[in-house]
Amino acid sequence: MKMPNYPRYIIIALVCLAMGVAIVVQMVRINYTTFAMDLIARAENYQGVRKTIYPPRGTIYDRSGNILATNQIGYEVGIDLKFVTDPESIAFAAASLLDNLDYLDVFELANTEKRANENRYYVLANFVSKEKIQEIEQLKAHYVTRRQEARSTKPSLSGLVWTPMQQRVYPEDQLAANVLGFYNYFSRESAQGVFGVEEAYNRLLTGKPQTVFLPNDPYLVEALPDFDPGASLILTIDREIQKMLEDTLDEAIDWAGATGGTIIVADPKTGEILGMASTPFFNPNEYWKYQETFPGITPYNRAVGTAYEPGSVFKVITMAAALDSGVADLNTTYNDGSGVYWVANSWPIYNWNFGAWGVQDMTGCMRHSLNVCLAYVAIDLLGEELFYQYLQAFGFGRSTGIDMASEANYPMRLPENNQWMIMDLATNSYGQGIAVTPIQMVMAVSALANDGRMMMPHVVRGVVDRGQQYNVTPQVINSPISAETARVMTDMLTYSLEEEASVALVPGYRVAGKTGTGDIPTELGYTSKLTNASFVGWGPSDDPQFVVYVWIEKPTISPWGSEVAAPVFRDVVEKLVVLMRIPPDNVRLQLIND
Amino acid sequence: MKNRLLQAYKQAPWRIQIQWIGLFLLGLVLIGSVTGLYLNISAQAATSGRRIQSLERNINNINNEIAQLTADLAAARSIESMKERAETLGFVMIDPHNAIYVEVQGFNPRADLELAPPRVNMIAETPILRSAYRISLWDWFIGQIWPGTTDSPPVEEVIVP
Repeated sequence: MKMPNYPRYIIIALVCLAMGVAIVVQMVRINYTTFAMDLIARAENYQGVRKTIYPPRGTIYDRSGNILATNQIGYEVGIDLKFVTDPESIAFAAASLLDNLDYLDVFELANTEKRANENRYYVLANFVSKEKIQEIEQLKAHYVTRRQEARSTKPSLSGLVWTPMQQRVYPEDQLAANVLGFYNYFSRESAQGVFGVEEAYNRLLTGKPQTVFLPNDPYLVEALPDFDPGASLILTIDREIQKMLEDTLDEAIDWAGATGGTIIVADPKTGEILGMASTPFFNPNEYWKYQETFPGITPYNRAVGTAYEPGSVFKVITMAAALDSGVADLNTTYNDGSGVYWVANSWPIYNWNFGAWGVQDMTGCMRHSLNVCLAYVAIDLLGEELFYQYLQAFGFGRSTGIDMASEANYPMRLPENNQWMIMDLATNSYGQGIAVTPIQMVMAVSALANDGRMMMPHVVRGVVDRGQQYNVTPQVINSPISAETARVMTDMLTYSLEEEASVALVPGYRVAGKTGTGDIPTELGYTSKLTNASFVGWGPSDDPQFVVYVWIEKPTISPWGSEVAAPVFRDVVEKLVVLMRIPPDNVRLQLIND
Repeated sequence: MKNRLLQAYKQAPWRIQIQWIGLFLLGLVLIGSVTGLYLNISAQAATSGRRIQSLERNINNINNEIAQLTADLAAARSIESMKERAETLGFVMIDPHNAIYVEVQGFNPRADLELAPPRVNMIAETPILRSAYRISLWDWFIGQIWPGTTDSPPVEEVIVP
């Protein structure tokens, strides 16, 4: 019997063993080389796609449930190279139907001969409208008919694909845009809220994006994890009031030949902002036009973003401090014999008309808006320590904390600062030499209209998150004056308006208020002839339910707040009482008595 | 004798062949069955996977449709759109001086808007002592034999609106 040829078997076995070892070594080497990650990534590319899912951004409602901001469908249009058969037709369709696309660029991308080994999908355009997609669909159907008729493979839009995605939309266009801000959705991954509540509540509205792996292998497919959409906000803004304010402000600026303005309506009992109009008006649906609408340093919302010298409306704060501290009462008098008050025997303070008004009690001082009287009250009666203590108690010199982005705050010059002079005390008493924002004034005045309690101004009334509603509780920030002082001030300013027969008076309703004309400082001092016309008022006087603040910037029709801002206040209140369903005083009191 | 015995025990060759063939076929059937079962389950898993993908797409489409309908509704109910429709129907803006106020019992124009149930804090009050330490040994023993017969204090759940 012949013995088997063992060496031959051994050689074959060794070769097999060597091949096995080589395979194992290669496997290990592949896993540990610098290309390993790249190879794994390439492998994953064939296994599926990793996708970040952005939850729908929360809706923003007004206080009655009307939608101010929500999401609609836009489309991502792209080229899937696997299915492209006719790059020319795709390039033609994309360039002719979609904005900002060039035929040659699209053709270059769609040309599969050149791109065969590269990326398989290209995004052509984001947030394409439904109407555009319908046009592409029609063209695609038309091409199908042409192909069937010609029995050809061309023309074809095969490979031109679109995917729906949600995009921010503001159905009321420019209404309340200064409060809402906007969402710059074009930048996709880095999109965020800008200005207003969109920025202040960006994290809540956005929700939590999640990255998931979507496998091509059906065995590996799992249901997507549940993700919570962004929280929705219920604002304190009343859509009807907001619209009325914006229309009134627009008309007022045209009529007064002013450069800008703002009107705020707030509920003094809760600090809720019912309406806040500010120029320039802006459509957040076209947020990319921001630079055109707000050139240079134009503030997005003057009501919270601009500090200015308010003028005589500030006298209500000085007088409230004097009455509350007890250094003056309604019977305290001031003899305005010369129409001038000398500060430290060096600097003169004049009245608005440079006239002398004789002996005046405190109501007379407010009624005639006497600068000299208020300077006397601040310097001779209150003194700097008490005066600035009250100003700080009223919240001046710091932000109100309103829940909107970009709130401005101009620091107050205090006696402990080197630059402070006694002249500051005199001018501050009637609202010059001190810069405040309209929202600071509204917050401070809410104390006068709410029995001395100063409420935190806010624009968000509730948050709806994960199926539950969280309502915001109104917060008392401070009680700078007593309830009695607040009522006395309200009566004083009601009486002042009525005695003055002011154009701010509203038939059927007793309201308290004060005009203001603020000189505008320039680099050379108060040399500008232009002014800031303001009015602050609240009512009904016996039970205040609204505070209205009007600021008209640089009116040309007249420099005076009493002639420019007061009529705007009246127009606003006349419409406001209807929208707020506040009956005239006689009807209301009769209903209460019944 | 020995040859005779072997002769009696040994199977006929054709029977051995049939047995082998039978065994082979049995193995084949078993393998076929397992393969069939595996294929069936795999097909079901793949179908389920595709179905999940399809349902996810449906959910996505429905969410998009809801969003679009909400946006369309909001646009239709926008203040400008409503004003236009009201004017078309012959309504005019009210003159504030001619407003007539009527008291409507129970109507609160400033009632809070409720889009969702109010927040509820679920605070499960954790007992300081476990129930085992608050009952007698006998009660515990009885409770183990006949659950529910002892009156051990329940764990309170306080709901704070």
